Amino acid sequence: MTGYLVRRILRAISTLLGTTLILFLLVRVVPADPAVSIAGPKADPETLAAIRKDLGLDDPLPVQYGRYLWQLAHADLGRSYLTGRRVADVIGERLPATALLALTSLGLGFLAGLLVGMVTAARSGSRIDVGVLLATLIGLSIPTFWLANLLIYAFGYRLRLLPLGGYGTLRHLILPAATLAVVQFFFYARFVHTTIGATLASDYIRTARAKGVGPVRLYIRHALRNALIPIVTLLGLDIAALMSGVVLTETVFNWPGLGRPAVQAVFSLDIPVVAGTVLFSATLVLASNLVVDLLYGVIDPRVRRG
Amino acid sequence: MPGLVIVAALAMIAVCAPWLTPYDPAAIVVEHYTGPLPPGGNHPLGTDTLGRDVWARLAYGARTSLFVGGIAMAASLLIGVSIGLVSGYFGGWVDAGLMWLVDLVLTMPTLLLLIVLATILPPSILTIPLVIGVVGWTTFARTVRGEVLSLKERDYLLAARALGASDARIITRHLLPGVLPGVIVLAALGMSGAIGLDAGLSYLGLGVPLPTASWGRMISEVQTYFAVAPWLVFLPGVAISLAVIGFNLVGYGLIARIESRRT
Repeated sequence: MTGYLVRRILRAISTLLGTTLILFLLVRVVPADPAVSIAGPKADPETLAAIRKDLGLDDPLPVQYGRYLWQLAHADLGRSYLTGRRVADVIGERLPATALLALTSLGLGFLAGLLVGMVTAARSGSRIDVGVLLATLIGLSIPTFWLANLLIYAFGYRLRLLPLGGYGTLRHLILPAATLAVVQFFFYARFVHTTIGATLASDYIRTARAKGVGPVRLYIRHALRNALIPIVTLLGLDIAALMSGVVLTETVFNWPGLGRPAVQAVFSLDIPVVAGTVLFSATLVLASNLVVDLLYGVIDPRVRRG
Repeated sequence: MPGLVIVAALAMIAVCAPWLTPYDPAAIVVEHYTGPLPPGGNHPLGTDTLGRDVWARLAYGARTSLFVGGIAMAASLLIGVSIGLVSGYFGGWVDAGLMWLVDLVLTMPTLLLLIVLATILPPSILTIPLVIGVVGWTTFARTVRGEVLSLKERDYLLAARALGASDARIITRHLLPGVLPGVIVLAALGMSGAIGLDAGLSYLGLGVPLPTASWGRMISEVQTYFAVAPWLVFLPGVAISLAVIGFNLVGYGLIARIESRRT
């Protein structure tokens, strides 16, 4: 068990280091001179040289990388070229909004998908299977930002039930969360349907049925418990996809989360903000994957031997 | 399969675009701009906020989407299949190293990674699909590697090796045809994914630059007008959805066909 733990953590650390290396290299390749971005295009050469020296841009690459890692270890993600604010501060400021949106939609979508998946799996039949596959296929094909606009149009404009965008009250949260939740719903519904369907067909369920276990107890105690393992681990792995969806949704609804500053930073070539946000999300993904893997090792003894 | 019908229709529209509409998608065709026109009359789907014909932009947009999606998918395929073949065949350190690379790419959320890459490369109709391709190869790599692992121990490969076939020959002549069915399925699904990603990128403004028509950007351009001209927002989204659904159906149809042939 400890072997598994150690190996897993080492792997996570090495992947994290690899991510920092890639980001570091990518950042160096950007066609914008950081000194010019900070000081503006009219600055004189002395100012530019001074800024470059201050940022340590004249040092050899390995030295710069070392310094970068050292700063990261101190949670220093650099300063924005445009505003001069610490990137870590910007992230800290906007993280709660993103977290709120992400967790709400994940929760809603997951629960709804779980329910529907369970119900459809119980009444399995090839027609229902095909129906579920088809419905989820269509549901997952719809672009999120388009769905967001449609929802705004229907509920915000036509029915005037909900605000058109922005942040602040529960009503502001409903539409953005619903948009993201829809995608999550279809995703989990399909997975739950197939997983539980497969579980229900397995031998131990047949045994239980032959023993005379009633359908409800059968379902909950036997089928669900085992099927929940892959489903719950999928939750953790969904974080990465969730973050991509969040960026688009935040843009449509003007939600003050992490997504929009990241995109705007791209347009203004504000590298520290872009790199910092990506690194932060990557760390989150790695952490959640690690937690999921470790939990999986705890729950399913078969994994520990492997 | 209905998927093929959709895809074929899209391809036809994309190819025949110049014949399907007399208008240039980038040209302003209204004489006196007074606002977007609803569908009807000279303009079957109306005009947009700059006075351009909507149907023309949709039809030429099909070209953009298919082109970007195709190149992106091809890039993912080439990178992913090569890595998968090498990784599965050689095993050991090579495998471990390449799979670590896969983990690395998968750790970064796709859209964010795309955004970073979009910062570095000047956006053009060639760089965008390459960027999407570089991000999407992991599925190909993992699937191909899995299939290679199971195919590796088959007798005909042992025979080939005993006869002195080189590694390269084994990989290209024997393993490659074996993984092909899976790859074709992933190609179809990859196409749908690429089109979706491209739409998202274009919406954010990071996609193929003006004046090329792009469905994603069509939506972001007219967002604020949906009160006045809802069809402008509605139609490009339908196009994107249909394209993605079409390729997904093809992919799943292929899976079903392969499954039924196996049993």
